Amino acid sequence: MRNPLKSVLALALLASAPGYAASLPSSEVASLRRLTQEEYRNSIADIFGPGIEVRGVFEPTKRIGGLEAASTTVLSVTPVGFESFTKMADSIAVQVTGEKYRPKLPCAPKDGKAPDDACTGQILSHYGMMLFRRPLTNDEVKTRVALAHALADKQKDFYAGLRYGLASLLQASDFVFRKEVAVPAADKKSYTLDPYSRATRLSYLLWNTTPDHELLEAAQKGDLNSQAGLDKEVDRMMASPRLEVGMRAFFNDMMELDTFDTVSKDSILYPKWGSAIANSAREETLRTVINLSLKDNGDIRDLMTTKKTFINRNLAAIYQLPFSFTGDWVPYEFSQDSGRSGLLTQVSMLSMFSHPGRSSPTKRGVALMDIMLCEPTPAPPANVDFSVVNDTSGPLKTVRERLMAHAGNPTCASCHTHSDPIGLTLEGFDTIGGRRTKENGVLIDVSAAIKGDKFSGAEGLGKYLHDNPKFPACVARKLFAYGRGENAEDVSAAAFKTSYKAFQDSGYHLRTLLKGMASSPEFYGAPTPSVETAPATKLAAQ
Amino acid sequence: MKLDRRFLLRGTCQGALAIVGMPFLDCFLDNKGKALAATGRPLPVRFGTYFYGLGLTKQLWIPKNGGKDWDMTTQLKPLEPMKAKINVWSGLRVPLDDNPNYQHWSGAAASATGISPTKQGEFDSKTIDQQIADSISHGARFKSVSAAAAGDPKQSYSSLGGANTLPAEASPLALYTRLFGPGFQDPSKGDWKPDPQVMIQQSVLSVVADDRKRAMQNLSAADKVRMDQYFTSVREAELQMAAELQRPEIQAKVTIPEAPEEMTVNNALPNLRKTTPLMAKLGALALATDQTRVFNFSVSEPGSQIFVPGDTLGYHQSTHEEPIDPVLGYQPRVSTYNIDNMELFVSFLKEMDSVPEGDGTLLDHSLFFAFTDQSFAKIHAVDGLPIFTAGGASGRMKTGFHTPGDGSAVSRVGLTIQKAMGVSLETWGKGSMETKSPYTELLA
Repeated sequence: MRNPLKSVLALALLASAPGYAASLPSSEVASLRRLTQEEYRNSIADIFGPGIEVRGVFEPTKRIGGLEAASTTVLSVTPVGFESFTKMADSIAVQVTGEKYRPKLPCAPKDGKAPDDACTGQILSHYGMMLFRRPLTNDEVKTRVALAHALADKQKDFYAGLRYGLASLLQASDFVFRKEVAVPAADKKSYTLDPYSRATRLSYLLWNTTPDHELLEAAQKGDLNSQAGLDKEVDRMMASPRLEVGMRAFFNDMMELDTFDTVSKDSILYPKWGSAIANSAREETLRTVINLSLKDNGDIRDLMTTKKTFINRNLAAIYQLPFSFTGDWVPYEFSQDSGRSGLLTQVSMLSMFSHPGRSSPTKRGVALMDIMLCEPTPAPPANVDFSVVNDTSGPLKTVRERLMAHAGNPTCASCHTHSDPIGLTLEGFDTIGGRRTKENGVLIDVSAAIKGDKFSGAEGLGKYLHDNPKFPACVARKLFAYGRGENAEDVSAAAFKTSYKAFQDSGYHLRTLLKGMASSPEFYGAPTPSVETAPATKLAAQ
Repeated sequence: MKLDRRFLLRGTCQGALAIVGMPFLDCFLDNKGKALAATGRPLPVRFGTYFYGLGLTKQLWIPKNGGKDWDMTTQLKPLEPMKAKINVWSGLRVPLDDNPNYQHWSGAAASATGISPTKQGEFDSKTIDQQIADSISHGARFKSVSAAAAGDPKQSYSSLGGANTLPAEASPLALYTRLFGPGFQDPSKGDWKPDPQVMIQQSVLSVVADDRKRAMQNLSAADKVRMDQYFTSVREAELQMAAELQRPEIQAKVTIPEAPEEMTVNNALPNLRKTTPLMAKLGALALATDQTRVFNFSVSEPGSQIFVPGDTLGYHQSTHEEPIDPVLGYQPRVSTYNIDNMELFVSFLKEMDSVPEGDGTLLDHSLFFAFTDQSFAKIHAVDGLPIFTAGGASGRMKTGFHTPGDGSAVSRVGLTIQKAMGVSLETWGKGSMETKSPYTELLA
């Protein structure tokens, strides 16, 4: 393997041109995405090596249209968030300019006690290109070289100056935001991402990290503008084990596994529950998805029905299985009469969408409709009497009976007839995912009907969702929206029609979907800029 | 190559610090001039918000009498020790105009901005604490600090507007570290000196800030606003560093404790009973040592998920699912949770009141605004929100009053608060909530 460090440097110097992007005729910033915590961490690890510690807090994201990714194009950096970025930037710069790391830098100063502008410039151009995902402009380099020079001079220490030059890159808006720039496409009618922005969008989709050297080189040469060049890079990246990192990030978002950050359970009713179980449950779901969709190249619809999973000691306790294995995680296959069905009955899905002390068919139903079918449920009317749902002293003993009575109200029924049947089939599992057959002494009825489809229990639900074309279509819609940072509800099905067709024809293999999407012009398309963005508009002081 | 003038100044003065006095703003001076810092200058009036979810039970909390001689009620009972230092409003309206009633949001957002929100989960302007911080925070280390007792940084009702909220410190340890961790120097100690490192960091920020013009190019209107927020944040970091170069003027005699231990932080009531006073104490110390002049605190999200272990419903579910007791005429379990919330509130206020400062306590020299999302949570009602203020704002706000329902919009309280805080404005709020009438009878 050639020395990636040297070649990135050569590339950075070669491509460094004043006024890059900003001065391109009729270019627009198609999307400005705040880096997520994982994107930031992965980028730092790939640029500086895994030995660099990143300690600090990241601003929370929001879920928009079922995806946190969609909020990255809406949220900004608050003073609290910037305070953290500035501290992390300095801490990373201290490590990179420390004794241990110095041999890895692209050059060494002529005299360690004095400024060396040439070497500083080399180092900042090298890392700057990887951080900004494009070559730095001459001005960007010069300002920082001057900063480093002044501070090195004062402190009689080259590295003390370099530290601050680097720190200024690490907290710059060009690093903490992914700025994707669009230019007129070949047809001169539409807009499409410029090469470096294509590299960025592709890299964060497939690997959840900053573009590597080869991808930046392909961008610099213009290869990503041709279909053949793009295909080549997509194939290379999809063959890498790093694809798993990228797809874990996607499924973590799509399956809303971040919900675990705030799930708490009633410690009296469910003393077994704890953060170790929550972490294990999240990992179980990610392992199941990655194994089925990437490693086995299976039919993604089987996520609804598979009996195969992975367990560790924590989960064995909830699933009431003996765990006599050594080691951390083992593959496990539930028995045919276990009542378990794919992701639907994993501890994650069952516990995240429940109350602290009891299961909630409504929460589970609403969540699964949104996550798996892309069918969000509107908020209930403000003035609704839910008291019948809770009256366990009356004749209605099970949640089902009580919910049905509530859903008898026609206003409520319009939504509850959609979401409740899904949730009710999962009533055989308690709020932390344990199996049960009775509620308040009465046998639980787990049958359901949706639009004439009758089914029973989790396995019935699993089969219903497996055969429902909305499930794979929802995966495709969310993947497309995730990659572009858009609200999935606003994405038109036409935008991913071709790749979806290929996905369907392949027997719903995720790799086919990904390949089709990542190499499609639609994935890199951008709306034509509106005229009003051209003149500097006065900012509304909020 | 262009170099910023500030950068040159900063780049060359390591080790040779010149301290430049910050302009002292009249708006945060105590007009009575009683509470004076060691240098003889009046102490700034400090501000804070307290958010609690799901309101109270109408039949049990509203005092019959208005004015100063209001009668104690079942649900306000926990606040009794603070009765003379708080104000209570019981009949405020939240007109939504043409916007929907966003459940568990409209009431909270309207209280915090004086504007009926147009989107779920978003504020249509800066929140009141940020509006006040713009006016009083110059020279404090942090423009504002937010904390959340239940462990979720998203439980912050402090915002520069839009979808962004200023994330809350979500555990006692996190709050402690932000306030009193690296970068903190105890102003009550004799060996306080400016850290030369801060000046170098200022020169780094100067370079970052110089990218502004280029970074704003070719952005859509919405992205321009976001990029502008980023550069506003850079500017605030610069101001923070300028503040760190000056010894804060304080009068309170306080000791900064050791860092608190890691603890379980979630919405179980027993945990909230520990985290609320602990985080209030840290907030009080931050206010007393002038680390910040604005401290926001939330005890839960709107639609509070607080639960008592063993209760399978929890607070929010109870408000919707617990039947109204036909004899009592209200929801008994909900009512218990209401009282729990008032107990948490008083535990917060007691910490603010336990820091002696000049002629009174920190609470006397501060003003806190407590608000909630619903009045009658069962049906997501917003009219009649239970709203409180606490603290006398160094004599500028009269306390001990109950203002019964007079059909006013909730924004009148916000306007009154800003007047008491010395913010220069005549009207506040939008649409039907736009008001020019503060409660002048409460302003001293």
